Amino acid sequence: MTDHNSSPRAVAEPAIDIADVYVFPSPSRPGRLVLVLNVFPNARQGALFSDAAHYRFRIRPVTIPAGGPGSVFEVGSDEYDITVAFEAPTTTDEAGNPVQEGFCTLPSGVTVAFRANDEQATEAFGVRVFAGLRMDPLFIDGTGYVETLATGRVTFQENGTNSAEGWNILGIVVELDVATVLGQAAGTLFAVAAETVTAGKFPLRLERFGRVFVKNQLLGELGVDKVNQDLDLRELYNSEDPFELAPDYLAAYRARLNANLAALDDIDGKIDWPLRPDGTHPLTELYLGDYQVVDVAKPYAEDSYLEIEQAMQQGRAHTTSGGRSLNDDAVDTTLTFNVTAGNGPRISDGVDQATVRASDDFPYLAPPNPDPAAIGGFLVPSKVADQLAALEAAGLVSRSR
Amino acid sequence: MTIDSEPVTTAGAIALANLEVRIDGYVSRVDGGRPTVGGRVELIELIALRGQLLGSIGDLEQAVALADDLVAQVPSDARSFVARARMRAVFHRFAAALSDLDTAAALGGGSVVLDAERAGLYQALGRYDEALEIRRPAAVANPVFSTLAALALLHGERGELDLAESRFTAASRHYRGTSPFPMAMLEFQRGKLWIENDDHGRARTWIGSAVRRLPAYVPAQGHLAELDADRGDTGAAIARLRPLALSSDDPDYATQVARVLSDAGHTDEARTWRDKAEARYDDLLADHYAAFADHAAEFWLTVGGDSERALALARQNLSLRQTPRARALVRRASSWSVAEHR
Repeated sequence: MTDHNSSPRAVAEPAIDIADVYVFPSPSRPGRLVLVLNVFPNARQGALFSDAAHYRFRIRPVTIPAGGPGSVFEVGSDEYDITVAFEAPTTTDEAGNPVQEGFCTLPSGVTVAFRANDEQATEAFGVRVFAGLRMDPLFIDGTGYVETLATGRVTFQENGTNSAEGWNILGIVVELDVATVLGQAAGTLFAVAAETVTAGKFPLRLERFGRVFVKNQLLGELGVDKVNQDLDLRELYNSEDPFELAPDYLAAYRARLNANLAALDDIDGKIDWPLRPDGTHPLTELYLGDYQVVDVAKPYAEDSYLEIEQAMQQGRAHTTSGGRSLNDDAVDTTLTFNVTAGNGPRISDGVDQATVRASDDFPYLAPPNPDPAAIGGFLVPSKVADQLAALEAAGLVSRSR
Repeated sequence: MTIDSEPVTTAGAIALANLEVRIDGYVSRVDGGRPTVGGRVELIELIALRGQLLGSIGDLEQAVALADDLVAQVPSDARSFVARARMRAVFHRFAAALSDLDTAAALGGGSVVLDAERAGLYQALGRYDEALEIRRPAAVANPVFSTLAALALLHGERGELDLAESRFTAASRHYRGTSPFPMAMLEFQRGKLWIENDDHGRARTWIGSAVRRLPAYVPAQGHLAELDADRGDTGAAIARLRPLALSSDDPDYATQVARVLSDAGHTDEARTWRDKAEARYDDLLADHYAAFADHAAEFWLTVGGDSERALALARQNLSLRQTPRARALVRRASSWSVAEHR
């Protein structure tokens, strides 16, 4: 039986699975930018980073050439990469847990060594690095969100249930001195995207992340895309360079975004993002540039997610740092932006903070939950209808609506 | 022969630690009473994977039990039946597995997934032409790691070694991931093909690579020990096999270490392992006859020392699956039986 020739199938590795990315000026140290990359959804004690992957933040300067509906950022060609890598453990700590050594390589080529799960990070070359098991800062009523997308109407409760309650992740936190690390860059506006790529001679992009919910929802199958009805675009999308999409699937991404964004706009029964005569949604090109935008000259603001994007669409100057802080209710902001364009009351999923609020001090992510909750896997299918069916089958959603 | 170590994959110890973390996470979800079908299927797959990598029949039995529960509790979901079909196939219940796939199809299961599973079952039954009708166009239409690996294995079983080698190489080049498990399994299967075709040099290259990628990979270590023994390196073979025989509940390793110890003149220890293997095979044949008939036949042909029993088991195995390997086992058992009665 041990010789059963079952064909090896590709196996997802959780250590390269990006859960979330956050970008924000440090609330406690002005002049510092904090980059957070969370991987391994629902990690637990014993979870380790891969030694065969590089965890990378890609930073490019951006400018805003013009404002108004449909505006997009102009991304510069200079790039400032911050790459984090890990070794396989060779020792254990006093509790018998494997110890991982890590290395953070800065745009200058300098490498800063650190040890995973060491909160007493030393500072070197303008950078402090932490990596290890922490509490997931995500908060969302996932059940209500899936039901909203699947049914095409807002179904949130006033007091929602945080689907990510008690979850842990493996987090990488890089706090950098802007003048030291990005001082050569022009301007104060930056686009930031995060990736996991294979180590080795020929790096392959495994996953990438910019803004909230672009891959799983905006490019997911809401059932309204008439051009590519049963095509899961997520893996194709994952392999793309966030700053330079290849032409091969651009039309498919555009068709999906146009259809899904239009459907989202209609959730409240009124159109706030009128389509162009050719059917293009005003936000399609913006979301195709899938990165967060942060203004390092502005101070920390907890609720600044998408403020720069909204200001650009409205043809006005932005007032905050943008980016995404750990305590920012990016889920509500994203839905409100996509559904109402800010023309009306804020849409809320009824969940306003994580299990434990993130800290204003390094390493910012809350300590891990020693007794984490079980894995919630209902957001995995590409088809939102399948996500809803999974929730109904698990008894998490009532069938009467 | 040297091989490129690309693709680079995560260290085996990291990957196995993370596999345990994932299993723990899913177990607590199932125990917490809020499982989705997708989550339960993933738990079954992860436990089965661990069983295959670490030589744990107990894990595979647990995966089967979970799959049976899933079908009983969610009989309206095609994925339940696909999961059970896969687990039935692991225990060589091929007809029952095909029946599950038919049910999955009736419930609306995706044809690409179901066809791939059927092809694996046809291959296991020796119905190579039917398997090829599925595997070859699948690899042409979607040349990715899994389709190319599956086609490579099929060509290998059909004796088309050059084609198998080219597809193995293509599968490696198409691997898009960091998990060591699929690559180690591919290299192991590639090495086994060369053991069966009497090129122990090539076999050692590939199985050695699988072991470097994933040192805890029990079946690969077991076959490397077999190669050690065949080239006369008895000490190395015993050093590899003893820990496997101690840690794994698969009696193959007890059988192997008994044989090597016996050849090296350590008759007392060899007898101890032989007896352990016999007892374990008796238990396994009672519960999983189809899955273990061939391995038990190997036991009785070697350290078991009963060619009549071996021949009976080999014939039963052939009745279940008409593959070249099954026919070869019957021929060997027949030869031994004739020799013993001269």
